Amino acid sequence: MDTAVLHSVNAMPAPTWHRLAMNHATIDVPDDLALEHRADVRCDPALFGEAGAFDAALRGLQVHTFGTPEAACSLDDAKALVERETSPAGQDGFNPLDATALSAFQTRAAAVEVTRSVAGAFETGMGPEALDFLREASGAAVVLATAPGDAPAQASVRTFALEGALNACAIDVAVADGTELDLALTHESGKVSRGMIGSSLRAYVGRGATLRLSVTQAAGEGTTVLDDSGIVLDEGARLVVRHSVLGGDEAYGGLACDLRGTGSQASVTTRYIGQNSQKRDFNFVMRHRGEHTASSLNVAGVLAGSSEKTLRGTIDFVRGCKGAEGSEVENVLMTSDDAVNRSVPVILCGEDDVAGNHGATIGSMNPEQLFYLESRGLSSQAAEAMALRATVENAYFDAPDSFARAAVVAFGRVHFPDFEESVA
Amino acid sequence: MTCEPKLIVTDLSASAEDAPILRHVDLTVNAGEAHVLMGPNGAGKSTLGHVVMGDPAYEVTSGNIVFDGKDITGLSPDKRSRAGLFLGFQAPVEIPGVPVSSYLRAICEGRAGTGDMKGKQFRRHVQKLAETLDMNPAFLDRELGVGFSGGEKKKLEMLQLLLLQPSLAILDETDSGLDVDALGVVSRGIEAYRRQPGATLVIITHNTRILEHVDIDAAHVLSRGSIVAHGDAALIDDIDAHGYEQFAALPVAC
Repeated sequence: MDTAVLHSVNAMPAPTWHRLAMNHATIDVPDDLALEHRADVRCDPALFGEAGAFDAALRGLQVHTFGTPEAACSLDDAKALVERETSPAGQDGFNPLDATALSAFQTRAAAVEVTRSVAGAFETGMGPEALDFLREASGAAVVLATAPGDAPAQASVRTFALEGALNACAIDVAVADGTELDLALTHESGKVSRGMIGSSLRAYVGRGATLRLSVTQAAGEGTTVLDDSGIVLDEGARLVVRHSVLGGDEAYGGLACDLRGTGSQASVTTRYIGQNSQKRDFNFVMRHRGEHTASSLNVAGVLAGSSEKTLRGTIDFVRGCKGAEGSEVENVLMTSDDAVNRSVPVILCGEDDVAGNHGATIGSMNPEQLFYLESRGLSSQAAEAMALRATVENAYFDAPDSFARAAVVAFGRVHFPDFEESVA
Repeated sequence: MTCEPKLIVTDLSASAEDAPILRHVDLTVNAGEAHVLMGPNGAGKSTLGHVVMGDPAYEVTSGNIVFDGKDITGLSPDKRSRAGLFLGFQAPVEIPGVPVSSYLRAICEGRAGTGDMKGKQFRRHVQKLAETLDMNPAFLDRELGVGFSGGEKKKLEMLQLLLLQPSLAILDETDSGLDVDALGVVSRGIEAYRRQPGATLVIITHNTRILEHVDIDAAHVLSRGSIVAHGDAALIDDIDAHGYEQFAALPVAC
């Protein structure tokens, strides 16, 4: 059996030591997997939009932001310009040793801004290779679009693993100015020995609009899940994301948010568990481009057995985002010496007038928490088992729709015989 | 009322990071009684509660603790809890990611009564107890302690007291930082607990107001790590009127 490989998924903004094994993830995709694009979509039929709605929305934002529908130049031209400006070789009196040494990342990051292109700057958390792969595998995208003046809308999309298949779904979303959309994505699988689930979300959130995105991943054993998102926020737009990552042998999650509009806000809350030899790999990027933008990343999980988790969380304050604030908080409860945690918080500052914070707590429960739980009759092992189960129960309580609730119950039933009656 | 000893603390000394805090404490609490432990700030009252519960932050350097006739000095806190001891915390911890309902279910697992209840039955039972404490049932779906006000945290402590039905409850300044309404709710919780057969109580407090609704059988004053005075409920009024200064000159154990 041949295998295709996605070489650079969830990549860090710039590589660090290779030996730390955290620069990016590599995903093997067996060639013999059948391609499927089946998903259950539930929403008001009026919410289905025209193909191209997302791209049209970005063109509108391009005009609104830069006053022209065209980019200033191509990315290659912009890179050349950046390199010329930082290394003006040939100028009178220029000493090549005085040249500013820009990394490939710095050159590209500067060039993206030089192009003055909203679409050109669009990115997803898992990166271009995964985006292309998932879009190609998904077929036509499900398009959801609100119209100005619409009442708050809801949509549910359920994807599931199929035996010996990659079942992928692409979703494009355009939330019109001043409207609200609750979008619930559920990834699940029954008993498959081998399968992949993929979802690729591109979303634009208009001026003063709100997108609440809930992703519930309750896949079973034998499943690999790829959940990729890229979201662009216009002026005063709000994004609220909740991830519950429960199952799957391997779960890759990426989310990139372009906080381009002044005063836009993004809040991402992620809860996960890792058991046995499961692998979790996340990359979240908050790219602050607009003034007075605010972002918050809150990630917490429990790692048991010999599970592995990598979280790359980047808050990028691009030049010009005056008054922006970003925070990143992570809590990892390790219940086994064999579990592996990798945390890579990154704050990039290209602007002076910003505030970025990060904090992480990684390890066993702290002594005060442990004593409290023990004083109520829980041994340390029981306390840790409770934390694992609580994550699943929390996913149930936070489940936004019946798809997600049913998926969590099915998942919980496999791991905890009395799960259903305990949450009912 | 029975007079069998529920808790006997004998010659108990304890330290934290090599600093002695408790010095040769003797205390006996009979089953069904309500005792109050008072003393100035830093006297070691909370430490005594924590040491009886088995907090590993403290090292017992002498003496022993006998509960229901068994020496529990070397027992882990979870086993003490399962044996029927309860410590109500002055500052309950927060545990992000753990819903209150999951937590309550876990601490009741394997216990007589609540541990046998099915999901819905257990939830109904908890909700009924919550109502008596003026708690919004929505708190069950919140993360343990996260974003709770001081009053909500103390109410949750009382809820656990009523849920676990321990035979001895030590309430460590459960009344601290509460407004009048919350204090009333906590008092109701204590009364409800006291109605349980054999319920034994040790209240650690500075505030005599919480004692207005509890018939106190004995009062003890802890100063500089030692118990310097024992008495009946009249001792509380005495402290209320004259403060702790009167005990400052009394000798303490070394």
